[in-house]
Amino acid sequence: MAVTKEILALAVEMGDLLLRNGAEVYRVEDTVMHILNAYEIHDYDVYVLSNGIFASANEDRDDACSMIRHVPLGATHLGRIAALNQLSREICSHECSLSEAWERLETCKTIPYNKTAVRLFFCGLGCACFGYLFGGGPLDAVTAFFIGLVLQIFLDALGRSKSSKFIKNILGSALVTLLALLAMLPGIPVHYDKVIIGSIMPLVPGIALTTSIRDFFNGDYLSGAIHMIDAILTAFCIAVGVGTVITVFRSLMGGGLFT
Amino acid sequence: MILQFIVCIFATISFAVLFTAPKSELIFCGLCGAVGWIVYLSCLELDTGATIANLLATLALTLLARIISALHKMPVTIYLISGIFPLVPGAGIYYTSYYFIMNEMAECSKAGMDTVKVAGAIVLGIVFGFALPQSWFNRLPHLRRGR
Repeated sequence: MAVTKEILALAVEMGDLLLRNGAEVYRVEDTVMHILNAYEIHDYDVYVLSNGIFASANEDRDDACSMIRHVPLGATHLGRIAALNQLSREICSHECSLSEAWERLETCKTIPYNKTAVRLFFCGLGCACFGYLFGGGPLDAVTAFFIGLVLQIFLDALGRSKSSKFIKNILGSALVTLLALLAMLPGIPVHYDKVIIGSIMPLVPGIALTTSIRDFFNGDYLSGAIHMIDAILTAFCIAVGVGTVITVFRSLMGGGLFT
Repeated sequence: MILQFIVCIFATISFAVLFTAPKSELIFCGLCGAVGWIVYLSCLELDTGATIANLLATLALTLLARIISALHKMPVTIYLISGIFPLVPGAGIYYTSYYFIMNEMAECSKAGMDTVKVAGAIVLGIVFGFALPQSWFNRLPHLRRGR
């Protein structure tokens, strides 16, 4: 039987990866416990927060081991969650040895994000579709498509420079609003409100809200609160970004623009 | 309505791509989102009001997401996160801040409260959706095989 440390390291590493890519706390806790059970460790404690993992195993034995991980809130990668889920199923049905599991884990870790061009296109498409769904016409959708492209380029650039979430959301929504209002200036008959609503969708905290609810539902109140605060602050930042630009525009152009 | 359904499939798929969902599951993510949106629209047409419409739409979305996730043996998160986007009150956030800036406080508080109500409805929808025991959903793949 393998030593406790190796097994616990595998379990915690998987939990870390799940959490990092946006899984909810319950799934992470469950996965870590299942893996420990599958490798025949039954004396353990696992405590997961939305940004940290604490785990210990076999405390009353010589090779007792405990681990702490700090996991910053990161970008969501659903593909990795799905792959890790599959791996954990196989480990639990004992189809996977320890060394094999490590190899598979490394593969899961390196599943890439979609290519930049693909992301740009789909960000634009998403914005356009939502612009249309929320009551805009085809022209609004086309405008939202291009604004979505610009927004994603902007977000990618910010992502590389690792700036804070607040800056990202405030500047992102301000950029969207500015572009939508500018598009209206030369007399193109767009409904700027529909364009803005469609184009801020990539920023809207849908994931944080959903995860928060599920954390609360599973009794992880602390993690639920962390995600809920994240969602509320993000919404607030978007409101600030949109509001600021509209105010500035109004004082520059006079109130007549916004009837 | 059919056009809305198709557009919503594309909208949801776009967001699923942004979150790098597995390629094989994209169409199902789209389906979840579109079904939620159609339930929402139908409820609005039946004059239930936005809150109830969001509640029922989220409930339908959550149940569908759980059924598909059980059948495909994939985490439910994939479908739920992508599918929730059409229902998340982005428009509410926008109008609240817009009226606030315009100094129309009555409209602003109305939009603000509506946004909070919609968010609450989404919360309840997901909670009710998850209240059904997982074992019911786990039985689904066996039902299909038994047929």
